[in-house]
Amino acid sequence: MSAITISRLTKRYGPVLAVDDLSFEVHPGKVTGFLGANGSGKTTTLRILLGLADPTSGSATIGGLSYRQLPDPVREVGAALDSNVFHPGRSASQHLKIIATATGLPHRRVAEVLDLVGLADAAGRRVGGFSLGMRQRLSLAGALLGDPGVLVLDEPLNGLDPEGIRWIRGLLRSLAAEGRTVLVSSHLLSEVAQTVDDVVVLSKGHVIAETTLSELTERGSVIRARTTDPTRLVAVLLAAGVQVRLVDDGTVEARGADAGVIGLAAAGAGLPILELSRHDEDLESLFFDLVHDRQEVAA
Amino acid sequence: MTATARLVRAEVRKLFTTRALPVSVAIAAVLAVAGVLIDALVAGKTGTPALGSTADTYQMLKVGALSSVVMLIIGILAAGGEFRHRTIMPALLATPHRARLFVVKVAVVAVFGAVFSAVIFGLGLGTVVATLAAHGIHYLPAATGRLYLGSVISGACFGMIGVALGALTRNTTGAIVAAIAWAIFVEQVILQAVAPSLEKWLPVGASMGLTNPPSASALAPAVAGLVLTGYAVVLLLFASRTTIRRDVG
Repeated sequence: MSAITISRLTKRYGPVLAVDDLSFEVHPGKVTGFLGANGSGKTTTLRILLGLADPTSGSATIGGLSYRQLPDPVREVGAALDSNVFHPGRSASQHLKIIATATGLPHRRVAEVLDLVGLADAAGRRVGGFSLGMRQRLSLAGALLGDPGVLVLDEPLNGLDPEGIRWIRGLLRSLAAEGRTVLVSSHLLSEVAQTVDDVVVLSKGHVIAETTLSELTERGSVIRARTTDPTRLVAVLLAAGVQVRLVDDGTVEARGADAGVIGLAAAGAGLPILELSRHDEDLESLFFDLVHDRQEVAA
Repeated sequence: MTATARLVRAEVRKLFTTRALPVSVAIAAVLAVAGVLIDALVAGKTGTPALGSTADTYQMLKVGALSSVVMLIIGILAAGGEFRHRTIMPALLATPHRARLFVVKVAVVAVFGAVFSAVIFGLGLGTVVATLAAHGIHYLPAATGRLYLGSVISGACFGMIGVALGALTRNTTGAIVAAIAWAIFVEQVILQAVAPSLEKWLPVGASMGLTNPPSASALAPAVAGLVLTGYAVVLLLFASRTTIRRDVG
């Protein structure tokens, strides 16, 4: 059973359809990137998942239960949705102790998570004086307080310096390696590409891709072939069921195909191959193409 | 420890970990003492009742209005502040049971309001007793005990009304300005001029039946207590519906 299941989820705010019949699953032991442009419905989905908003229809469950049905939510799900959820007059330690008190967690856990996120020295400082990066770390500390099996983080890299980004990537990988379910939203694929195993891409409230990162990367790769008769090679490859096109300089470009298949097809047709090379489109361009194509179709 | 008991402790911790509380307590304490001392200084002058007279001592014991106003503000900050600073999000993640969270917050603020009002009235009363004793007067009016109890009830009720207003408006500044504008302009200026018989049935008018000395124009203390509690309950019912149903984020 998947840890997180979003099933036919729809959320409407008056005339605005924020999330439209959304379905996907997030599995334990992996970091899943929840990607989409700003306004694509990511945060709305996460709020519904965490019981902060009600769906118009459909469901969002964790281990088969809605967040509000979980017997001990903080020990089961850690969530960091926003870096501005602190009273500026309270210290980092006081903020976490309030959560620990409400949920029956031992107060020593507060010192442990502050140490874990690198805020041990700032434990007694008022949050009003924190930088955005420090607030992000404090949000993450709140999510980790109950040592949960499921983590839901909304744009956790915002405001972090390069060292912080590197640290959080390592932390998320290690949490997933422990068998936890980690769902991380971002509007930049490149931001999470070094961290995620799976990706769910959202556009205008719809899932437009639910796949592994490697499969997504594969989708963005092309094999380029040069031959003495490119028009014939195109015909041969199309007949073999390969998605192919002839580019301006006489090169044949095949998307999502294996170089060996192209080489064998060319050899079978008696066509000499002068060059056969693989080119990977950068992930951000691929992500942009995915989202942009979908938005154009929707328009 | 039960979930509700843990939540009570968390809400108490929330109250005591912001500057609003010590600042409010300090201001109320200073005003309570200063009010009595100033009154004692001007007593018997320019036509005011003499020091030690029943009328003057009652005037000095009108401390309940002060603690009620402060509790109204503390209640608004306790509930509205959760939305202003968005601490409602971690609060609801820790306690998804919204009704329980709301009831506990109301109860904690109400109890704090009662204790706070008792302390402030006690401080004012102590200053009155000491001031009168310094002038060789050892007398307190008969209704002193009733004013003490009335102030405690009024403080608790205004704390609850504050929580309701904070939760309904989700805007601390707007709620405080609106509440004070209502109390001063609508009730005390407009309605007292236009419909004086109606004013005593409204929240501030009812609270005067509890915190002010006996008067023919005010509600009887028991009736005033019921009316003020009724306002608090009705506003809390409205606020609980929106707090429980509305999306957060």
